[in-house]
Amino acid sequence: MVRNIVVLGGNSHPELVESICGILGLPACSRILTKFSSGESRCEIQDSVRGKDVYIIQTGFGGNGSRLNDHFMDLCIMISACKTGSARRVTAVLPLFPYSRQPDLPYNKAGAPLYKAPTPNGENGKNQYTFDSVPPTPGPGVPKTSGLTNSSDIANQMIKNALTNGSSKEQYTTHDYENLSIVNGFQAKPGYKQWVAQAGTLVANLLTCAGCDHVITMDLHDPQVQGFFDIPVDNLYGQPLLKRYIQQHIPNWRDAVIISPDAGGAKRATAIADSLGMEFALIHKERRPTKITDRQNASMMLVGNVTDRVCILLDDIADTGNTITRAAKLLKKEGATTIYALLTHGVFSGDAISRVKASAIDKLVVTNSVPQDEHKKQLGSKLDVLDISPIFAEAMRRVHHGESISVLFNYE
Amino acid sequence: MSGEMANEVKLISGRSHPELSEKVAKRLGIEVARTISLNYSNQETSFTVGESVRDEDVFIIQSTTTGDVNEGLMELLIAISACRTASARRITAVIPNFPYARQDKKDKSRAPISARLVANMLQTAGANHIVTVDLHASQVRSVFAIQGFFSVPVDNLYAEPSFLRYIRENYKPEDCVIVSPDAGGAKRATSIADHLNTGFALIHKERPRPNVVGRMVLVGNVEDKIAILVDDMADTCGTLVKAASVLKENGAKAVLALVTHGILSGKAIENLNGSVLEALICTNTVPLGDKIERCPKIRVIDISPTIAEAIRRTHNGESVSYLFNHAPV
Repeated sequence: MVRNIVVLGGNSHPELVESICGILGLPACSRILTKFSSGESRCEIQDSVRGKDVYIIQTGFGGNGSRLNDHFMDLCIMISACKTGSARRVTAVLPLFPYSRQPDLPYNKAGAPLYKAPTPNGENGKNQYTFDSVPPTPGPGVPKTSGLTNSSDIANQMIKNALTNGSSKEQYTTHDYENLSIVNGFQAKPGYKQWVAQAGTLVANLLTCAGCDHVITMDLHDPQVQGFFDIPVDNLYGQPLLKRYIQQHIPNWRDAVIISPDAGGAKRATAIADSLGMEFALIHKERRPTKITDRQNASMMLVGNVTDRVCILLDDIADTGNTITRAAKLLKKEGATTIYALLTHGVFSGDAISRVKASAIDKLVVTNSVPQDEHKKQLGSKLDVLDISPIFAEAMRRVHHGESISVLFNYE
Repeated sequence: MSGEMANEVKLISGRSHPELSEKVAKRLGIEVARTISLNYSNQETSFTVGESVRDEDVFIIQSTTTGDVNEGLMELLIAISACRTASARRITAVIPNFPYARQDKKDKSRAPISARLVANMLQTAGANHIVTVDLHASQVRSVFAIQGFFSVPVDNLYAEPSFLRYIRENYKPEDCVIVSPDAGGAKRATSIADHLNTGFALIHKERPRPNVVGRMVLVGNVEDKIAILVDDMADTCGTLVKAASVLKENGAKAVLALVTHGILSGKAIENLNGSVLEALICTNTVPLGDKIERCPKIRVIDISPTIAEAIRRTHNGESVSYLFNHAPV
C-alpha cells in the first residue's frame, strides 16, 4: 500500500491501469471521462487530489473504436484538471509515447533531396545552374512569387479528405512521406521542399503547458524526444523483459543470432546480444513506399551469417509491420530456421496483423504497452504478450518515494 | 495585396471546414495554400506544408467538426507548429467555433478549465493571434474569460450584424419579438431587439445537468408575433425545441431560432424535425455536412465575408471593430 498517491487512468488502456493499481495495492481514482455529444471531452475527477502525487496512465494508441488524438487531449485535460485541483505533482505515464516516431525524411540514394530549380530552357537540355534562390529573394524590381498561378483543386481534395467520424478510408503510414504524390496526387509548389510537421516537440510542449511535472515512458523510438522536454523524463527499457524471454522461452538461445532489422536499432540489439553473449547480425535497408517486390527486397542487405540458425529480430516498435516482415522474409531466404520477433511496442496498425500472419515470422513477442487483446485474438499462439505493469508500478513507486529508478534500467 | 513586399497572406485550411476556407479564399482573391494533412494508420495526425510560408502572414482556418473536436484541435496545433518551424512571420488561428468554450470555469471541484487549456495549447504551439466568432457569449463574461486566458490578441467577431440583415431582409421587424432562451443570453438578445426596435422576451430555465433541459417559464409577451429565439449555439437543440413549444403555447404566430454555431450533435436533427420551430437559421461557422438535406428547417447565413474581411484588415493593420456593427455584403 502506497500512501498519498493517486493513480488516474485514461481510456486508452484500462487493463494496464487495473494491473498497475493491483500491484501498488490501491484503487484507481474514480473519474468520469467521456465525450459530450458535440465531441468535446468531458472529464470530472471525483476523488480529491489535493496535495497528492498523481500518476495519469494513458498510452499513445488509438484502436478498437477509440481515437489517438482523443486520448491525448483527454490526457492533457486530466493533467490540467489535477493541477487546477491542487495536486502536488502530476506525472504522465505514457507506456507508448504518442508522436514519438518522426516521419521519414524524404531521403533517397543521392542523399537528402535538394529541390531542383526549374530548368530554364537550357541549351542541349542541360541544367543551367544559377545561384538565384527559388522563390527569389524579394526586393525592388523582383516580381512577387507567382504563387497563385498554379491552380490546383486542393480545396476539393481536402473536402474529400475532410474529418469524419471514424478513421479515414484511406490509410497512410509514415513511409508515405517519401512519395507524397500518392496522397491524392499532392504536389508541393515547384521549387519548394515540402515541410512535414515534426510533432514530437509540440507534444512535449503541450504536455508541459497542460501542467505535467514528470513523464514516465518506455523505449522511446527517438531517445532525443527526452531532450524536447524541460521536465524530467524517465525512459524505461523493455530490454530486461525481452532478455528474460529469450533466456526462458527460446530453446538453445545461446546458438541463436540477434538481428537488428535496421541500422537505427543496432545499438539496442547489440546491447542485448553483448549481455547475453550471443551473435549479432544487422539488416541494412532502404525504405520504399511502394509494393514489396523481389527487386526491392534485394535492397535489404544482411550483414552477418544466419544459415541454419535461429534468428531473433529485435526492434522497439512495429507499426505497419513492414520492417519486421520484410526482414523475416530476407532471413528465411538466407537460411534461417526459426524466426522470433521481439518488440516493445506492438501497435499493428492498418493491415499489419494480416501481414504478420502471412509472414515468415514464427513467433511474435510484444509487451502490453498498448492493448494487445484484439491482436492476441487474431494472431492466437503466434503472439506472446509480456506484462510491463510490474516495471511501471515499480517505477511509479520509486519516483513517488524519491528513490533511484536506474536499477530498473539494467536488472538481470 | 501588400505591394512589393513578400509578406503575403497565406491561407491554410484544416480538414474540418474546407468549404469555409474556400469561400474566404475566394473573397480574398487568393488560393488556399497547398498543404496536406492526414492520419497515419496509427492515427497520428500529420501535416505537410507544400509551399513556402517563410516570413509570410499565415492564417489557419480550422473549425470544429461535431463529434471530432479533438482531432481537429490536434490538427490545428500541429499545423500552427509546422508553420512556426517553417519561419512564418505571424500565425493567426482562425477558429470560427472555439472548442471547449463552454468549459471556461471551475464550476465544481476538480473540473477542468478546458478552455484555458486550449488557449495555452494554442499559444504553446505558436499562435500569435486568434480570430474567432461569437465565443460562447450567452455568458457575456466568458468572452472576457477566454480572451483573458490568452496573452496574445483575440479578436472576437460577431455574427449579429449578419443576423440583423437577415431579419430585415426576410421579415418585418415590427412583427417580431426577440426571445432569449436563457437569462445569460439576455444581453445579446436585447442588443438585437434594440437594433431592430422590436419587443423582447425571456425564457427562464433550470438546467440540472448538461445536455438535459429543465422547466421553462416565459417572461414577456409573444402573442401573434413571430418569436425569434436568439442563442449562440444549437447543440442537441433540446433547449430550443422546448423553448419553441413554450412560445407556441403562449400564442406566438411562428417561432424561429437564430444561432451562430450550428453544432447539431446527438439527436439534434430529429429534435428539430419534430419540433414546432419553423426554421433554424445558423451561420456556417461549423461544417453542417448533410444536415441541411436531412433537416429542411435549417437555413444558413454565410459568415465567410466577415471572416475574410477580418483577415484582410488584420493583415493590413486596419481596425477590425468596424465589423462589430457591419456585415460585409
